Amino acid sequence: MKKFSNTYIFLYITALVVVIAVTLTLVSTGLRPLRDRNRQAEKCQQILRAAGHDIDRAKALDAFPNLAEPMTDDGRQYRVSCADGSIGIALRLDGKGLWGPIWGYAVVSEDGQTLKGVSFDHKSETPGLGAKITEEAFLKAFKGKKLYDRNGNFVSVRVLKPGTASGIAAENRVDAISGATLTSKGLDEMIQSSLHPSQITNHH
Amino acid sequence: MKNYLGPLGKDNPILVQTLGVCSALAVTAQLKPAVVMALSVTLVCAFSNFIVSLMRNTIPPRIRIIVQLLVVSFFVIVVDLLLQAFLYDVSKMLSVFVGLIITNCIIMGRLEAFALSHKPFPSFMDGMMNGLGYGLVLVVVAFFRELFGSGTLWNHQVIPDSWYAAGYLNNGLMILPPMALILVGVIVWAKNGTAAKR
Repeated sequence: MKKFSNTYIFLYITALVVVIAVTLTLVSTGLRPLRDRNRQAEKCQQILRAAGHDIDRAKALDAFPNLAEPMTDDGRQYRVSCADGSIGIALRLDGKGLWGPIWGYAVVSEDGQTLKGVSFDHKSETPGLGAKITEEAFLKAFKGKKLYDRNGNFVSVRVLKPGTASGIAAENRVDAISGATLTSKGLDEMIQSSLHPSQITNHH
Repeated sequence: MKNYLGPLGKDNPILVQTLGVCSALAVTAQLKPAVVMALSVTLVCAFSNFIVSLMRNTIPPRIRIIVQLLVVSFFVIVVDLLLQAFLYDVSKMLSVFVGLIITNCIIMGRLEAFALSHKPFPSFMDGMMNGLGYGLVLVVVAFFRELFGSGTLWNHQVIPDSWYAAGYLNNGLMILPPMALILVGVIVWAKNGTAAKR
């Protein structure tokens, strides 16, 4: 077997690392516009979906400026035209699922009383269980839920297992996903912490 | 040419060498991510075999694993970036498993066993065939899992609504990883059963 000196080994690996790092940087920089565009389109689609628009990701980016305008500079709050013709306020939600982050958007009616719709996404929830939070069948349960109870107290919208929801009216809660207790709990906490009266009303 | 066909059948990396099973369980709930994963692994395996084979006489044996890892990582990151740019939905479905191609034993195994001691072109073919052999199993498993787990193929519904109306249910176990292991086991069994004569 050929003998390699320590100097050779050192120079060899250094050169290899430099070549690879430079090439990867070039590839990454070259593809960044496409990648950013995909992420932006996805965000637009999520917000429009929460507002009731059924729209492709490809079309979401073009449709977005006509349907939504930012209310803050951080991209977490938008005034958005809903599919039913009314105006809603889209709020960014951030939380923790079972395996990783979960996030989404909630569209609240202009008076801050009613949830018009939501959309969720997740990094790595279990397919078939926690990952169901992105499915229309689950999301549609949120439509029209009230953020205040009958006495006018703020309760937000809870995600609770059927049978454990004592004292919370049906109009203030959604059934959790069976088999996905921890993801549902994370979702509940995310909505609790993000849908505050202070956040919803401070622009009126 | 015939020499290269082993990985597709009698020397299949998943079925015979039992390599790469982890990702085979994770990405086969649907056909589309399975096909993309299969192509990604094939590309990474073929090109890293090719490059390592080109470099084989210059690589100091003491650091050869590090060098191999660098080459594999390079191709995996390129594939990941390409997916994020051109197949965003699939890249989200595959999530961490694209990155984990780096640790796929099939690739490191072929570099060690083949590319370090063969010329570039045979190495390229060997890598490609092993990737395809891996992909073949992925696609077969994903076909059954998507069909029986979701009633769809390539996201198109194939089980008619009338079946559901008549009481047919999708098998929820099919979309969970344990079922992938059972299916891989069944394929290994079927393969060993037919190849028992050897």
